[in-house]
Amino acid sequence: MFRTSHLLLKLFLTALVAGGLFLIYLDAKITSTFIDKMWEIPAKVYARPLELFAGARVGAEELAYELEVLGYRKVTATRGPGQVARNRDRFEIYTRGFDFPGERESARRVLVELSGGKVSRISAGSKTLDLMRLDPVQIGGIYPSHGEDRVLVKLEDVPQTLRNGLLAVEDHRFYEHMGFSFTGIARAAFSNLRSGQVVAGGSTITQQLVKNYYLTPERTFVRKITEVLMAVLLELHYDKDQILESYINEIYLGQDGPRAVHGFALAARHYFDTPLDQLNLSQQALLIGMIKGPSLYNPVRNPERARERRDVVLAEMSKREVISPEHAKIATAMPLGLNSQRSIRDSFPAYLELVRRQLRLEYRDEDLTTLGLSIFTAFDPLLQRQAERSTTTVMEQLNPKGELESAMVVTRFDSGEVAALVGGRRVRYAGFNRALDARRPAGSLLKPAVYLTALERPRQYTLATPVQDTPVKVSGPGGQEWEPSNFDHKVHGDVLLYSALANSYNLATARLGMDLGLDAVVDMLHRLGIEGYIPEVPALTLGAGEYSPMDITAMYQTIAAGGFRMPLRSIRDIVDANGSPLKRYPLEYERTVSLQAMHLLHFALRAVVREGTGRGVYRYLPADFEVAGKTGTTNDGRDSWFAGFSGDLLAVTWLGRDDNGVTGLTGSTGALKVWAHFMAQASHRSLGYRMPDGIQTQWIDDQSGYLTGKGCPNARMLPFITGSEPRQSTNCSARQTGIKDWFQSLFGREH
Amino acid sequence: MSYFAGTIARGCVLLLLLSSSACSIYSAPASKPAPVSKPPVVAPAPVPQPPVTRPPDSPSTKAWQPLVDKARQATARGDYEQALAVLERAQRIDPDSAEIYLEMARTHQARGDSAQARVTAERGMLYCSGRSQCDALRAFIR
Repeated sequence: MFRTSHLLLKLFLTALVAGGLFLIYLDAKITSTFIDKMWEIPAKVYARPLELFAGARVGAEELAYELEVLGYRKVTATRGPGQVARNRDRFEIYTRGFDFPGERESARRVLVELSGGKVSRISAGSKTLDLMRLDPVQIGGIYPSHGEDRVLVKLEDVPQTLRNGLLAVEDHRFYEHMGFSFTGIARAAFSNLRSGQVVAGGSTITQQLVKNYYLTPERTFVRKITEVLMAVLLELHYDKDQILESYINEIYLGQDGPRAVHGFALAARHYFDTPLDQLNLSQQALLIGMIKGPSLYNPVRNPERARERRDVVLAEMSKREVISPEHAKIATAMPLGLNSQRSIRDSFPAYLELVRRQLRLEYRDEDLTTLGLSIFTAFDPLLQRQAERSTTTVMEQLNPKGELESAMVVTRFDSGEVAALVGGRRVRYAGFNRALDARRPAGSLLKPAVYLTALERPRQYTLATPVQDTPVKVSGPGGQEWEPSNFDHKVHGDVLLYSALANSYNLATARLGMDLGLDAVVDMLHRLGIEGYIPEVPALTLGAGEYSPMDITAMYQTIAAGGFRMPLRSIRDIVDANGSPLKRYPLEYERTVSLQAMHLLHFALRAVVREGTGRGVYRYLPADFEVAGKTGTTNDGRDSWFAGFSGDLLAVTWLGRDDNGVTGLTGSTGALKVWAHFMAQASHRSLGYRMPDGIQTQWIDDQSGYLTGKGCPNARMLPFITGSEPRQSTNCSARQTGIKDWFQSLFGREH
Repeated sequence: MSYFAGTIARGCVLLLLLSSSACSIYSAPASKPAPVSKPPVVAPAPVPQPPVTRPPDSPSTKAWQPLVDKARQATARGDYEQALAVLERAQRIDPDSAEIYLEMARTHQARGDSAQARVTAERGMLYCSGRSQCDALRAFIR
């Protein structure tokens, strides 16, 4: 008897110690993580804000699209932020205002008038505005693996009716109990007994919070005890308002694809596209009702059930005197008021991946998913839309079956900002991002580096230097022989240097590259911005190696910018959760190539589209719209490339198959079409002609490369680095002629 | 490293030098230009110089002027980061404005980064018009 009671005492004491230790463990868990947990906010990624000013190139349809993806509500007269009233080309916009890094753009009502695809006037009241920007579209977030997203709100900013309604429905004795409710548990236990299984929780708000924060969702007795213990501990450490605030920010309110909607503030934006403090009673009740079953009462999927549940909540709110019966009646009669706008959030996986990679160079994943950073990018929704449209349209024509893939990178080359990115033909799909990760030979896209290397040696090479397009054989390592041929399998003899590039002659380029030295060509490619491995082999002159569309973009970015290299940027600024600037990615130039040589290369790249392999672009572009570019095709048409620029945009397009199969396309018959289709719609600025210091133009006989007179046979004007002009000349003297080629017509249309 | 920029002080001249040769088309010899290897006896007709005009679709009004003013204020109080951020915004609005490049170059200079000042001015030279503007940019390159 004594031994038994002794054993029982021992067991009891052991249980007591174990229970005590367990309590200490739970307490430590709560105090160490509760406050931190409250602040786990995924980084938000924003597009560029749309700048509006008189003269800005924005069409009415484009402005309407921008406002739509921003979620501006279409009304007949604007009464509050986030509304737009449109009358053809006149947009009355009540802006939301936005805290930009270092500056606030305040909410205001403005009238934006458009005419001929441009902003003609912006006014606020009677005052004309010089410049304004809309709030930027949030294009995504950097979510943790569990996908939780939330917008934080302070308790004092939560509408009183929402707060009281929440308590009325979920826990009307919240301010009285100690974390759990005997009556609630008793009631739950009774119904569980009756049904023979655990069906009801009877949880207080504190218990629900503990459950969401720390515990797994299964319903067991031990878990329930732990929940109650932790709830009591939580109440001991924190006051009621802190707990309620955490609950309001924590509660799970539905799923949006991979993103889990947490907290009332985010739910308000997600379901109604309205800030929490502007929700009407019906909307508040709808959200409160969703707590019971976020999926079951999801108003998007189950509007009828959601409505019934909302009405139950409204009745309860009225019963507990949170609202008057009249207000409840009015709210019950209201429609659900769901957000009908299309959201573009998380629909640009390719660009977001670029942003993420840039971020990961400096930030840990954990920081990105918890610190509530705001990431301001250069992403341009209007350019992205056009890039996707052009890709889809042209790909449908070229390859309706769909095994052909594509990628595209668009930059604003003056700043080096990546404005749009297409990672594959199915633009909404995450996955293999061909713009960043497809590594392919570049074909003739590398040729400009060969010619640029030559043009940097003006004593030896000019645009008018004859080069030999004749068979060439090079022995490589291991006794292998490399013997390229032209695309047309012809030999063209002596051709002027610019013409060899314009027509993309392989033999002439291979010879030129070998004469210059492969090391010089490799060096030039590095100077132009290609950072990875470049094989120093003869076939490099014709594009050997593995390059992603992004690598090629870096190279052509330097060319388009006139010989100035700058990092390709997707991020402009990073701001912390308190709105303080953390980091800015500044514009920095580095001049890596002779300006004059680059100017000559521009001439040759213009010749590509005017008289060479890229002529097809003018099936899409107006004849007087100046662009420059280069086609690229690899063996058997496995890759079809085009890279080129206008006065404002650089775009690189690639088409090919993921299995590296034959496409039957060349650069001109494939990628060029996507490029030109895009440029014709998206580019607003023709490529200007600006001669740097140290360049002169001369009339040249384009057969011999000799100086000749204006109007002489075969005469054409070419630019030269001063002092490098040909010394030989024809015996023809200048004469009057009315005929002008594309290059001459750049020289003023005053003639 | 500017290969020729220093040697030729030729501004980006707005003026278009029209061809002054008034030879009639009828007085020209027949079209068989025999190449000759001696230096040219007859200098080729003067070739037109390119006009440096702003593209017709660039913003006519200086929407960015308030930004440049704001940047100057930031520079004056030593906040170069803010000044450059504002100037970059201005440049995005009007990428062809040499005036913005000039202001950027000045700001880089003010914060002691003469290399960035120089290269920014050099890039701005591609867009300058008028002697005074081009010279102001050129001053950073010398």
